Amino acid sequence: MSDELISKKEVLDLTGISYGQLYRWKRKSLIPEDWFVRKSTFTGQETFFPKEKILERVDKIQKMKDSLSLDELADLFSLNSSNLKLTKESLITKGIASEPVMNIFFETQGEFNEFNYHETLKLYILSILLESGNIHIEEGKMLLQLLNDHQSILQQPKAVICFIRKLGMSSCLISINGEQVLLEKGTKVAATLSIEHCTEELKSKLV
Amino acid sequence: MNMKTLGNLIINGVGSSNGGSFEKVELNGKGTVNSDIECERFHCNGTGTIHGNVKTEKGKISGAAKIHGAVKAESLVINGSAVISEAVSCQKLEVAGRTSIGSSVKCDVIAVNGKVTIEGDCEAEVFRAEGTFSVDGLLNAETIDIKLFGDSKAKEIGGRKIKVTQHRETLFKLIKSIFPLKLEADLIEGDDIELEGTAALVVRGRNVKIGKNCKIGLVEYSGDYECAPDSEVKEYRLI
Repeated sequence: MSDELISKKEVLDLTGISYGQLYRWKRKSLIPEDWFVRKSTFTGQETFFPKEKILERVDKIQKMKDSLSLDELADLFSLNSSNLKLTKESLITKGIASEPVMNIFFETQGEFNEFNYHETLKLYILSILLESGNIHIEEGKMLLQLLNDHQSILQQPKAVICFIRKLGMSSCLISINGEQVLLEKGTKVAATLSIEHCTEELKSKLV
Repeated sequence: MNMKTLGNLIINGVGSSNGGSFEKVELNGKGTVNSDIECERFHCNGTGTIHGNVKTEKGKISGAAKIHGAVKAESLVINGSAVISEAVSCQKLEVAGRTSIGSSVKCDVIAVNGKVTIEGDCEAEVFRAEGTFSVDGLLNAETIDIKLFGDSKAKEIGGRKIKVTQHRETLFKLIKSIFPLKLEADLIEGDDIELEGTAALVVRGRNVKIGKNCKIGLVEYSGDYECAPDSEVKEYRLI
């Protein structure tokens, strides 16, 4: 992820939104508090944002604000949509998981018909990794086991899931703050995936 | 709705109790509550101390209250003095007395007639002040309407419409000429900004109108700009 920063003024210039809108979105938690980076400049303190994230977010808000209220948008962007209930069929039609992935999911999780948010996210993570071809079915089951044991990490946007392999043995791990993981020489990283990335994608698919 | 009838907690005189769920909590003398309370109505008329969080629909503090915790309310009216150590969130907050809040405030409507000190950020849809306030963080509201009665300050102010006016009272004119009332801020940003008696380092907005007695370091505007002759603006530019 690039760490390039952009000043508040540039954000307004590039996107055409006003100070009022920006502050309103901040109040409604459409823009997370920790994106506001304060830095001192020659005119005193100024606020900066992570460039890619803020531009993408503003773009999304502008596209969706006509169809959804700001509160609904806030729900969408916050990391725990509480009252989500989806059926297996709707998940398949929305393209969150394919039929085979769904079956693998049911093998470890047991069969049920209503997916809450956490189960949906687990399914989506599994689906991304399996479809990418970077992990195989057994590893997928290992992943689900890991996610079941540490369900709380689904709320941690910074968490990153890593798959590693060495001499044909595979394992997966989660780094809570997404820091760099150092590996021994013969070990290969098969796949990495950030939770934040998954949640964002999942949410845009659910809308 | 919870159909279970809840009891009341009323302390008249000196007394202490543990918290819990109640319909009505009333502290009339010197009452102490030792844990969290949840109630429909909360009244504190004497000196009340609460060691815990307060969650209520209607809260009224007329005496002196010390709450060592957070407050969540539909409406909260403070006429006496209140010290709240943690965050306050409510639909409507009215302060006529003196209040100090140790953390951030999140409300729909805030009306300040007395004196408020907020050590964190303050967020509201409407922020109206006719008293003195100090916000250590960001004062963020859709509409900010400030009538200066005493020295106020906020580190940053952001919103859509920001209006600051100086109170005009002939009786106090003399005193005020020696100690002019002012609002101090590092940064003010909004769409429509009208200022009087304000000292700020940077003001940014679409339409900026600087009235009397202002001292501004830098004004950046993209629409209209006006400045009263007796105000001091070091630099202004159209962006």
